[in-house]
Amino acid sequence: MLELKGVTFRHLIHAPTRMKPWRKQPGPGVLGVSLMLQPGEILGLVGPNGAGKTTLLRMIAGVLPIEKGSIDLEKNGTLESLDASSLRTIVGHMPEQVRWQGRQTVEDALFELAQMRGTSLKRVKDLLRLVGLSERTDTPLSSLSQGMRQRLTLAAALLGTPKYLLLDEPLNGLDPVAAAAFIRLLKQLTTKGVSIVISSHQVEGLQAITDRIALMHRGQVLACGTLEAIAQNLELTSTIEARGTGEAPDFSWCNPSETSEENGQWTAILHDSQTNLLAEVLSRGIDLTAWIPKPPGIVEMLCAATGMDVEEVGLDIATAAMLPHRRLGGEEE
Amino acid sequence: MNDGVRILTLARRVFLDRVKSTRMMIMLPILVLFLPGMAWGFSDPDIILPGGHQPDEPMEVLFYASLGVVFGATMCAVLLAFDGVSRDRASGVFELRLAQPMPRTHQAIALVLGMWQAIFIPVAILIFISIAIIRWRLGEWASVGDALMHLLATSLILLWYVVFTLLASSRTKDQGTAIAFGVGMWFLFTFLWALVTTMVAYASGVTIGEQNDMQWIALEGALDLLSPNGVYHHLLETRLIDIDRGVAAWQTWSMALAWTVLPTWWFIRKMDELQP
Repeated sequence: MLELKGVTFRHLIHAPTRMKPWRKQPGPGVLGVSLMLQPGEILGLVGPNGAGKTTLLRMIAGVLPIEKGSIDLEKNGTLESLDASSLRTIVGHMPEQVRWQGRQTVEDALFELAQMRGTSLKRVKDLLRLVGLSERTDTPLSSLSQGMRQRLTLAAALLGTPKYLLLDEPLNGLDPVAAAAFIRLLKQLTTKGVSIVISSHQVEGLQAITDRIALMHRGQVLACGTLEAIAQNLELTSTIEARGTGEAPDFSWCNPSETSEENGQWTAILHDSQTNLLAEVLSRGIDLTAWIPKPPGIVEMLCAATGMDVEEVGLDIATAAMLPHRRLGGEEE
Repeated sequence: MNDGVRILTLARRVFLDRVKSTRMMIMLPILVLFLPGMAWGFSDPDIILPGGHQPDEPMEVLFYASLGVVFGATMCAVLLAFDGVSRDRASGVFELRLAQPMPRTHQAIALVLGMWQAIFIPVAILIFISIAIIRWRLGEWASVGDALMHLLATSLILLWYVVFTLLASSRTKDQGTAIAFGVGMWFLFTFLWALVTTMVAYASGVTIGEQNDMQWIALEGALDLLSPNGVYHHLLETRLIDIDRGVAAWQTWSMALAWTVLPTWWFIRKMDELQP
């Protein structure tokens, strides 16, 4: 088990003054994040652009330093604090959108990274087979499609047989078939005890594959757990999509709902705040052709957790005062 | 695989990548023209240099032919190494490298070694060809000591330029700025340093450009210690008996050490804290 305890890293941003044009000051980053990674689970890191997902992954990968807090590994029942070097040996990191280029071949590029890790050529060949690039070993990097580049990056992340795998927007550029195969591969890895952290802003795709999610916004984890647990904590109710034929029935007795009609069919979105809502609907003589429960989406959770609406969260147009941005060891800004 | 072997393996990869690159193929004719070409020209038995001087010893010819290193090889070093860090950083491959357990310090050393080999090995081969040309033209081999000093001094100046350029490449995220920094630095030390020397001389009340004025010679010699090209020539001058510019050999070697250690240390430190 890997445990993040209040890890903090803030990027330095230029803040020139007349007397000090080179001046920099701490800017956005990751602020006091605590998380736990259980063996064999898939954790989804979700948040809008600039939430700090990539920064957090880089910290866990040992690429960025941890300014405050620690990352501990459970070993024989005791927690051992890891430095960046130790992290790099147990963590595989797949950065976002690596643009492999040049005349170097696929196998040679991967073998170069393998040599930095002390991994054998046989392992490189095995990994290329695993990610479906065994037919492309002699292909120059510049000739690879985006999907193939993603696969090569995944192979690079798997080089050291990592216990923890960090994937930054892994599904970008993959066609649906490749994405499905990719997800299957991830599931296989979890059965071997590999913990996976997937960062994505494509929230809908994540729901099906993650065991838990961590909602991130402005460098902080707002909520972490299963979708159901987070929804419950945020007092979000599921919605139900009800369908039927003919004229749309009156749902004014129900919680706020939306009803639409098209081609002699009606669809209603009902908020499942009552127990036995289905029984209530049927008792009112409403004929249904479909009754589809829909748990709260990640976007709704993010909005509920931040208290902002979707435009404010997505486009970051709300003022910074809505969430605490702390200086390191200091007061709220 | 121990750390040393790993560094050498990575350095070899960088070397092969650069030495087989298209830009090396483009620069090779320039190097041939500047190195063996100058050796050919300066070893001409009928050549008369300005001031009526005629080089008649192999080391003297090598000294004059070192202009080819200063003008050609150093520029090639800059053009070879300017994207040594920035290219991989821009493509995201650098982040993958940083995520490997190999310490950043070792990665930085491998990068310097690989880049330096990529320019020095072709230049060294051309220097050997130059020595053979001089032997053929003057009928006399350069002594082993002279040849070794020429190779050592050339290896050092190329190392300095490679490290400066890698430093620039690590400080910028776009390749345009990296190459501008590298070429700008080459321009400063190759062309503008004479202007700097002149300005300092003028401010110090020294007669400018007077070849027999000891004050001018001493000032020029001292200021040359602050330029990699100047230190390079001081190193070569340690093998020439007739030249005395008021700089002791220990001063030259100290500055050569400083020019080697300080920028390399700065680059390694920069790599240690570099973010993807």
